[in-house]
Amino acid sequence: MAAHKKVAEILSSIREQGRRKLLEHESKQVLAAWGIPTTRVELARDAAEAVRAARELKYPVVMKISSPDIIHKSDAGGVKVGLSSELEVHQAFKEIVDNARAYRPNAKILGVTVQEYVPHAREVIVGTLQDPTFGATVMFGLGGVWVEALKDVSFRLAPLTADDAREMISEIKGYPILAGVRGEPEADIDAIVDILQKAGQLAHEFPEIVEMDINPIFVFDRGKGAIAVDARIILKEGG
Amino acid sequence: MAEEGIKAIFEPKSVLLVGATGIKERPGVMSPAFFTSIVSNMSSSYKGKAHVLDVSGRLSGAIKSPKDVPKKQDLAVLTPPPELALKHIRKLVDRGVKAIVIPAGGYKKDQLEQLVRATVKRGVRVLGPNAAMGVLNTSNGLYTTFERGLMPRRGRVALISQDGGLGAAMLDWACFHGIGLSKFASLGDKVDVDEVDLLNYLAQDGDTGAICIYVEWIEEGRKFTEAIRETVKRKPVCILRGVGEGPERAEIFDAATKQAGAIRARDIEELFDIATALALQPPMRGDRVAVMSNAGGPAILAAGAIEREGLKLATLSNDVKKAINARYPGIDVTNPIDMTAGAGAEHYEFILERVLADPNVDGAMVMNMLKSCLLKPEDVEVVAKAARKSKEKPVVDVVVGGGDHVLVREVLRDKEIPTYDLPEKAARALRALHQYWQVLGRTKE
Repeated sequence: MAAHKKVAEILSSIREQGRRKLLEHESKQVLAAWGIPTTRVELARDAAEAVRAARELKYPVVMKISSPDIIHKSDAGGVKVGLSSELEVHQAFKEIVDNARAYRPNAKILGVTVQEYVPHAREVIVGTLQDPTFGATVMFGLGGVWVEALKDVSFRLAPLTADDAREMISEIKGYPILAGVRGEPEADIDAIVDILQKAGQLAHEFPEIVEMDINPIFVFDRGKGAIAVDARIILKEGG
Repeated sequence: MAEEGIKAIFEPKSVLLVGATGIKERPGVMSPAFFTSIVSNMSSSYKGKAHVLDVSGRLSGAIKSPKDVPKKQDLAVLTPPPELALKHIRKLVDRGVKAIVIPAGGYKKDQLEQLVRATVKRGVRVLGPNAAMGVLNTSNGLYTTFERGLMPRRGRVALISQDGGLGAAMLDWACFHGIGLSKFASLGDKVDVDEVDLLNYLAQDGDTGAICIYVEWIEEGRKFTEAIRETVKRKPVCILRGVGEGPERAEIFDAATKQAGAIRARDIEELFDIATALALQPPMRGDRVAVMSNAGGPAILAAGAIEREGLKLATLSNDVKKAINARYPGIDVTNPIDMTAGAGAEHYEFILERVLADPNVDGAMVMNMLKSCLLKPEDVEVVAKAARKSKEKPVVDVVVGGGDHVLVREVLRDKEIPTYDLPEKAARALRALHQYWQVLGRTKE
């Protein structure tokens, strides 16, 4: 129940600030508190803080704009990856903020997040929503074009059994990509099962989380785990 | 124990048919002609006791006033328009009616509230209003539907339709295709009785082997999925969904009902095809299917259909192959088994028995072609005979064609072997039987 209490605290502090959309680092705090592996992340309000954060995380790092007004960070020139020195981090901070200002002059900019870099892997998406008829529902799909163009997703009601989670993974058309094609090893399906179950439990215990989008999750080869690289949580209006 | 009020809807000891012959026709509500049709349908098919109350006092032989209705009628079928029905409903409840079916529509919001206060709040169960096609029970002849000629033959499939018009169409389909039903109900506006009540009742019903539901909207999704979860422990539930609230909502509905253990059908034909097999045959433990046919082409189509449904062609064990060839040297025992055009009853019986006893086989698709073959329709009876010896493996029968299929269907009628006119339909039925096995496996965990 410690996890429940921690999440409740984070959510109520967001509410107290009069917001219902959690920023990326806040969403990841929720996931981390709930036992879902995420990339480590620090919010830096200036370049000096960014450098300190990068030192803690070890190089290379990823940096992303932190603004409630900018959802598509890449489109805003708000993401830089593979930064491997203090100088690069220092410059990146300035560039990211400048780009964001140019992209949306009135955007409220809280700073730049400095994040642990993880090597690229197969991408999946886990989402939750509160269906008006069925309540907490979990969605699963492969990242990128699979979800956007092909709508290749599966759903189950939360909470999920491990069998439910396995079924929703194997149900999508793109499943062979996770099972491994052309001699590629199988992805860590167990790690996805774990994230699906935890995400479902989170949405089930907190109906005020009307929407959660963990996208992408990098899934490594079997036995090597999976990690949430970006996440977005939206709370119920009025709450 | 089924709940008494719901039981009274399907198995009433006595029924009261309430109508008004003196009112004007009102399309979409209920007309005097519909009332007299229900009276006529009931008098020709219902085996229990029925009384008729005509509040207009015109119909000869009918009771003229609610106060003259014999006490404790289990079920009342209420056909007058809302304002007239509401005028008499309290008196009927006072006289001990347990349940009310309301085929009539046209109730406004305040009238619905009035109805609920007079009935549901006093412990009376209400099916409807707008339960346009009412209730059918093939075992006692209950037929509270104004449409004529929609009483299907007796069978083990129960059908629930939220929509009355589609319910009637499905009954017509079932009658035409010789599909046997146990019970039917159209739900309408669901002011009280809903899918959950009917699932709970039908789960306990000895005449019902499988339940079909056509559903458009559900008020409380979780209650519905819980009821499915409980029901599928006893018998399969097949769903045809008409949810029209956008693709994502429909997908969530499908996922939720699948997760609960329901088997989805994409159209009416598939709904009846799979439900008939599920009601009559045991679930299929594995995915290995044996096909035996007296003609090559249909068997090749069957093999393709089996693979498309995610099942496999079984590899027969050597012992079984040897046993078949020892008796019939000319038969190619590679699955699909080509029994050749000369195969008769004894070939079918001998080979099907061996095939079902094979540990490498989970289920069988038997194809009997009459055209260009020596087989006679009555020969097909042996399929049922051989299948009975193997209680744990399902058998489905296929006669590719039109009239020939009907001939064989009538031979196998009441013999618990589902018959299909196309191999693709039989393959879907086997796939559903395997799905139900998987559902049962999950419920035991």
